[in-house]
Order: sequence, then structure tokens, then C-alpha cells
Amino acid sequence: MATVEERVKEVTARVLKLDPDEIKPEHSFTADLGAESVQSIELVAMFEEEFGIEMDEDAALSVETVGKAVEFIAQVCKEQGVDVEGIPEQ
Amino acid sequence: MRLILLDSNDELRGNFYPLAFSRPLWELRCGITSLAEKLIARAGATDVAYFVPDYMADSYRAKVKRPVNDLSVLAGDDLLILEPRIKAESFDLAARGPSEVGVDEKGRTLYARIAKDDLPKLPTDDIGKFIAATRAKLPNVRTALPAWQYIWDLILANPEQITSDFAAAGRKGIEGTVEQPNAIRGNKKDVYIAPGVIVHPMVVIDAENGPVYIDQDVEIHPFTRIEGPCYIGKKTVLLGVKCREGNSIGPFCRVGGEVEESIIQGYSNKYHDGFIGHAYVGEWVNLGAFTANSDLKSDYSTVSVMLDGRQAIDTGSFKVGSLIGDHVKTSIGTLFNTGSYIGPMALIMATGKPLPKFIPSFAWFVEGVVTKGFGKGRLYETAKMAMSRRNCQWSKVEQTMWDAVFEMTAPMRNEAIKKGRRAMLNR
Repeated sequence: MATVEERVKEVTARVLKLDPDEIKPEHSFTADLGAESVQSIELVAMFEEEFGIEMDEDAALSVETVGKAVEFIAQVCKEQGVDVEGIPEQ
Repeated sequence: MRLILLDSNDELRGNFYPLAFSRPLWELRCGITSLAEKLIARAGATDVAYFVPDYMADSYRAKVKRPVNDLSVLAGDDLLILEPRIKAESFDLAARGPSEVGVDEKGRTLYARIAKDDLPKLPTDDIGKFIAATRAKLPNVRTALPAWQYIWDLILANPEQITSDFAAAGRKGIEGTVEQPNAIRGNKKDVYIAPGVIVHPMVVIDAENGPVYIDQDVEIHPFTRIEGPCYIGKKTVLLGVKCREGNSIGPFCRVGGEVEESIIQGYSNKYHDGFIGHAYVGEWVNLGAFTANSDLKSDYSTVSVMLDGRQAIDTGSFKVGSLIGDHVKTSIGTLFNTGSYIGPMALIMATGKPLPKFIPSFAWFVEGVVTKGFGKGRLYETAKMAMSRRNCQWSKVEQTMWDAVFEMTAPMRNEAIKKGRRAMLNR
């Protein structure tokens, strides 16, 4: 099974129409990857679909970078009892 | 005699959504006044109390001076309890008289006149039990009183109702300022311009086909054309609007573009160009530039509306526009299909095409699908901001009421969000 980071990059690449290999953890969704506000909404929706989780909109949309998204999603998965691979160390 | 307006939390309330989510039915407008004003005037009552669904009681109590859901009003005087869907002009029961309960053909109570002497027979610890007991213990009368069935009935009756309300108001003439050159067509007896109104030059008021009532402190900018019958509410600003016949525009609105046979509850903006026809627009709505609705189908068939997002109801009318709930915001270029329903608090981003006919409450409609968007918290922040711009406050009780509406409407919204997710995944 792919890790959380790989899955986050895959979803990000699909929504923002990018090459997943070019996406780095330190990249900002808006400044580096060019996400518009409507794409941010789509990203949150697609992360929820990908991981089968429910995220608080305000908290999710305050996440700025890919690496922080990986941490945030891993935490939500843990809280909601969803098994995932490659949970980053806190 | 004490008049009690009772908005039962029954299935018929849904026929008046999306406007009825946040207000009792009698606060809806038709003509110059609200349904409550008409019923109170008809009954000739000065002592008035209200019973509303529990979830909106605190919010409504903060807006009115009369008792709300106060069981103590069920004692001490003769009572006349009215269902707000009754058409006031058809109600001719004497306010005082022997106890009598008016029941429609489906067995629903439309009114109850209760003599003070009969009150001890009735339980007063719950309004539902009280009404049930009136049915069981007092004489029942089968009645065929005309009643409003759906929210679009108010839109369709609006032109005629303005005309009769104008006659009932008994006002005419110019008490405000009308700067020249201006033109008033038709009989000047059919025009009333209240004190504080400023009509700029180059405005046409056409009362040839119906009366025009312009309420206090309205400002009308140049190149506005107002066709009667029409009512413009207090402190509203008209910005070169083509105000076609049959409009009731509530207080504190800003209206431009073209509006026809529509009701705007109040405190809403449609500042720019764009057409709204046969629509009912709630409070605190902002319609972006070039927002337009269709009110007539291309094949001239009758318009259907989905009030619950599932079942289409044939209105029986060739013309029905949009039903737009409170706090809806639309982006530039939003196109509403004929007979559209937009739930309160929905935020719409245009797609360039006519939108789906049902958009649930609190939906963020983005890229052609319903999403959770930035959540209800951001919608509340926007509502707070919009209200503060008119010196109105978003209160805690109001937020509690909207939280209840959010919960009530969750099934429809969640279904639409799921559908949206599937569409996103298939892109």
C-alpha cells in the first residue's frame, strides 16, 4: 500500500494537474503549486475520498504545505480509526 | 380577545421553504404587508401572541415585542388562534363568539375560536396538546377557507395583493421629494410617495396598470422605471432599475437591473444588471452582477419546483422563477434555471451554464458541484459581515437557529455532496 505522503501527492497532482514527482513536502499548495481557492475545496474533498475520512473544513483549509497535509491527514486517520501506511513521526 | 398566530411544525411548513427555514410563515410578504399584518388587521386584534417551531423561538423572540411560545397567553381572555396560511381577506369569522374549531377537508385545524369560559377544559402545558384538545372538546366546523398552499402562491398573487393593500392603506400623493424632470404616468391617485423619499431626475413611475407605493426614505436613482402595481420598502435604493409590474421589494434593499413580479423580503442586494422574475428572494441575499433567473420554460409548459431536492412539484403556472433563501450569495454571471430552489446560506459560483434546480442549504456550489466548501463557520462570518454593514448584529440566538437548520437540512446536503464527489472523481 502506498504511504500517506505518496497518496497525498497523487491526489494533489490529479487535482492541480501536476506531475507527482515534482511535488515536495515543503511546497505550499497556493504559492508553489498554484492552487486557487476553489481547488483547495476540491483538494479537501478528494483527500476525504482518498482516505475515507471526514475533516474539519477550517482546520483542513488552514494547512499550507504538502508536508503539513500529510501530518494532518495521518492524524485524522488515526483519530478516526483508519489504517494507513507510513504515518510520519510527530 | 387575544389573537394567537400558530405556526405548527408540520409537514406543510416545507411548502414554504426555503424562506420558512428562518421565520414563521406569517413573516412572509405578499403585496405591501406581511401575512401577519394582514391577519392582525383582519381580526382587528391589538393583543397578539405567537407560537413558532421551537428551534426558531429564541431567535424570533429577539426580533418581536410580542410573546413567543409563552404558554401563559393561553389563559385569561377569549382566544382566536389562526393558522398563518389562511388568506386574510377570506377570513370573516367574528373574533368573539361561542367556541368553534375550523377544520379543513384534510382534518387540519385552520382556526380555533375559544371562549374564555371554555379555557379551563383545555390543557395549557403544551401548545400541541392544547390544539388537540380544542379539536376533541369543542364544536368542530368543516371549513373550506382559502389558504396559501405553496410559497409560489405568494409570488403569483403579489400584483393583485399590492393593488388591494394599496386601497386598504388609503394613501396617495407625493410627500417626498421628486426632482424634475420626472414623469408619472397614469392616475396620480394611484401613486404614493412617502416622506423622506428622494426621486432623482429622469425617473418614470407608471401607474397606468396598477398602483405604486414608495415607502419612507427610499432613494430612486436616475433612469429607474417603476411599473405598477409595485411596492418599494423603507430605505431601499433603486439604481436605474427596470422595475417591472408586480414587485414587492422589502426594506433596506439595493436593487438594479431588471426585476419582474418578484418579492424581495428585505436587506438584500441585487445591485447590478441581470434579470430576476417571478422570484422570492430572502433576506441578506447578495446577487452578483449578471445573476439572472429564467421564469418561463422554452416550451411554455408549466414550471415544476423541487422543495425537497427529490420530488418535482408542478406549480401549475407557466411562470415561476427562483426561490432564494436567506444569506445566499451568488457570483457574477450566475444563471438560475426556471423554478430553481436555492437553500439558505448557499454560496454559488457560476459555471456559465444554468445551475441545477435544487441547491441545498449551506452548500458551497463550486465548479458545477455541491461541496462542503469552507464550511458553515465561514458562511457565518460572511453573514456577520454583511449584517454589520447595515448596522445589524448577528446574534448568538440567530446562530443557534441556523445551527438547527444546518442539522435539519444535512441529509439533502450530504446527498448532494456525495453526488458532487462522484462528479469530481470522474473528471
